[in-house]
Amino acid sequence: MPEWLYNGFSIFVVVYSTLVISSYVAFAVLAFFEHKKHYTYHDDDYTIGELKKSPYTPGVSIVAPAYNEEKTVITNVKSLLSLDYPDFEVVIVNDGSKDKTLELLIENFDLVKVPYAYVEKIKTKPFKGLYKTKSDNPSFKRLTVVDKVNGGTKADASNAGVNVVSNKFFICTDVDCVLEKNALYRMIWPTMASTRRVIAVSATMRMSNGCIVEDGKMVETHPPHDMIPLFQDLEYTRSFLIGKTALSRINAMQNVSGGFGMFDREVVIKAGGYDGDSFAEDMDMVARMIRYMCDSGEDYRVVQIPETCCWTEGPPNFKVLNRQRTRWGRGLFQFFTVHRDMLWNRNYRQYGMLTLPYILVFELTAPIIEFMGYFVVLSLLVQWAINWNTIWIAFLGLYIFAQLLTSVIISYDVWVGTSFKKRTDYFWFVLASFLEPFFYHPINVFFSLRGYVKQILGTQMVWGNMTRKGVQSANKQAAPGMSGSTDATTAAASVASVKSAVAEAETEKKADA
Amino acid sequence: MEYYVLSRYAYWKYYLLILYYRLAEYPPAIRVWAVFSVISLILLIGIVVGNIARVVRAAADTHAMAHNREKYWDKMKEVAMSVRVWEPLEISALLELPKNFKMHERTHRRYVPMLIEMYRKYGPQMNKINWQRLLQVLKMPIYFEEQVRSRNTRKRIVAFKNVADMDANLKEAVASRYLFTKDRKLQNNARLHAARFGTSYPFKVLLEDPNLVFTDELVVKFHNVLMYRQENGMSMPNFIHWCNRTPLNEELRIFAINEIRLFNRREDCAEMLSMLINSRDERFSCALIKALGAMEYVPAEKEFIRRYLSASYTERQELAEALGAINSGNPEVLIFLQEDFLQTTDYVTRMMLLRVIHGYGEIGLEAYNYLKKESPKEFSIYFEHIECDLIDSRRYA
Repeated sequence: MPEWLYNGFSIFVVVYSTLVISSYVAFAVLAFFEHKKHYTYHDDDYTIGELKKSPYTPGVSIVAPAYNEEKTVITNVKSLLSLDYPDFEVVIVNDGSKDKTLELLIENFDLVKVPYAYVEKIKTKPFKGLYKTKSDNPSFKRLTVVDKVNGGTKADASNAGVNVVSNKFFICTDVDCVLEKNALYRMIWPTMASTRRVIAVSATMRMSNGCIVEDGKMVETHPPHDMIPLFQDLEYTRSFLIGKTALSRINAMQNVSGGFGMFDREVVIKAGGYDGDSFAEDMDMVARMIRYMCDSGEDYRVVQIPETCCWTEGPPNFKVLNRQRTRWGRGLFQFFTVHRDMLWNRNYRQYGMLTLPYILVFELTAPIIEFMGYFVVLSLLVQWAINWNTIWIAFLGLYIFAQLLTSVIISYDVWVGTSFKKRTDYFWFVLASFLEPFFYHPINVFFSLRGYVKQILGTQMVWGNMTRKGVQSANKQAAPGMSGSTDATTAAASVASVKSAVAEAETEKKADA
Repeated sequence: MEYYVLSRYAYWKYYLLILYYRLAEYPPAIRVWAVFSVISLILLIGIVVGNIARVVRAAADTHAMAHNREKYWDKMKEVAMSVRVWEPLEISALLELPKNFKMHERTHRRYVPMLIEMYRKYGPQMNKINWQRLLQVLKMPIYFEEQVRSRNTRKRIVAFKNVADMDANLKEAVASRYLFTKDRKLQNNARLHAARFGTSYPFKVLLEDPNLVFTDELVVKFHNVLMYRQENGMSMPNFIHWCNRTPLNEELRIFAINEIRLFNRREDCAEMLSMLINSRDERFSCALIKALGAMEYVPAEKEFIRRYLSASYTERQELAEALGAINSGNPEVLIFLQEDFLQTTDYVTRMMLLRVIHGYGEIGLEAYNYLKKESPKEFSIYFEHIECDLIDSRRYA
């Protein structure tokens, strides 16, 4: 390699790194001001007290698609029905499950098929029927089950749910997510406190892998003790408490997570609902909502709240992580091809002028630049041309900065007040942050690049099955696997995962005996 | 050989100079990077120490609050729930408070959650005099005054909320200094405090503000304040006057109409009807229609019918709902609703009309059955939907 190329690359890396670090610092500072504002003006208990008493409290719908969830669907639906809020409904969309998901729901909640005047506001795969309870249990009356033909994606199922919800705002979540009891109060408050129209609200999501859950309710919160979910927990916390909070402050949020987010139903319908062809359907949805609002000249806000409202299970092994990250990488690439017209477009305000350029420069191209960096370092190592006197300073500085960011998110988390009850749990975060640059980060770079390549080559991709180990239940038995998958292959994988989980549970029982 | 003991400043300077000279031979980019690393390291140490301190303080607070609860909960409950009026000295003796019991922010902060919890649990059954005396003995009013006077905005806001949460006594003069502060949230808290506890004309400041932004948050809080006043037998405002205030605030007018409906002020119906006749604003008209319908004001029926055909779909839905709520048994209304059912293209309006017809007494049921027979086949799902008791048709959207 010629020397001028090395020199050019060095200068580029210095400039790029400076920009990346400056952006992190700017985000941390913006997030600080946002947390300070939230801490100053918001009081969870007071807010809940006010909303409970008031007849003005708006209703909220929860949409949760389910596909082959027979093992856990009952516990999870009961968990959703036990949330604390004066007026809410739970809409479970059975996306053509091949197992007994629907039968179990019918049996456990005393459901019957009702003649519902279904109107397809958003196009979906055919609607088969709607079920309501005949039981007198008031909590069951909140439940609606929609049965439809399998659409192959979560997006299609979510759209069917949106077609039947009756409230102005709906929360889109996964049926296996564990929600905080007060999640709905926390989510609705920003829509009421803002002087502008709030079209979407995002809340902090965390990994439930290390937590103890009883009857679908969170009993004890701990960080995961397996490395991959732990790394992801750290990554999520950093993203929600620094990145998204900072972007929310300047109304430039790029994404409301598909796992847990609240949306304005009217805007979602007018924007055309979720796109079933997208690999990053949540990001795509927000982009289309913003596009609609900007095109119609309306003022809007997308808000991030710092409190943890949802606990989800992270990928337990590299295989699942690979599938998840490859899909995310591919989704990001696809997103830019679809919404390229919004980039540097003044009509789309902060989103077009700030958010999308930021994602392009620091998220889409980062894996490519990092990969080139690894390549250059390796080639220099082979030639024994590394300047060791310099590289240790660069590495040490970066490492200290990474630790600084971790300590900042820990302090934000403690500040926000929805952190782990046992403060020593944060040592796991510190541990993860020490190891992350060596293991987790390079692997993710590789997975993202794999996604880009697949998108460029147009490889057909099935929606991966999120094999789950199950969170700890209060009686310490592992809950079997659950999935958000959508096709026959993944269904088979789901069955396999269930079998393996059952086998694990049996082994444990034997060991106990 | 002489030895010099370096002072604290010189000591740091010495090490920074070593660092400087060691890095002097490096290119500028690396030197800048080294400076950045040192700053990061100092910040990192500072944040870690801060986090540890915060955790330790939180643990001490939790421990102290648990101790307070164990020591005082039953005694305080005894005082608050007692029918007999306790003297302050008796309360003080029961709680074993020292004679020179003083207000300390740190200790008093720890009483607040316990007192709020107690008020929330037993508030309605409490002996209000004993409760106020208990707070007095614990010097809570002085504590809240100090908090409201503090420079920290959070402390001020939290104090206002806590006062509302435990029905404590806070001097109006203390709160009034924030009625016109620049911080809108603090201002709203102070104004709501004045509205909750004020006696002369407590809503004046809030209502006379030309820049008043009526967010849903303020609506919720304001309504709760009004509920509190009604429950405690305090003077209530004349909502209908709020609609005619100048400058006109559309949100305030809508809020006033909604409050008339929620507090069931039937005496205002006639004036509301005349407002509806002259109203051109859709949201205000909808609020009026909803209120008149909910209070079953029969004379409004004529105006509802007059407005119907020129109204938007949103207003039509409100009108249909209101006509159904009044349910006067007027066949003219039914004919009118039937016709619109067959003509309208909006499915939500159609569903609402059908529901109203179905619930319109015996003649309504007859009309419903007639429609069922005569309607096109594709409408049959609407009829089945309405007839199904398991679906709450009012929520159809």
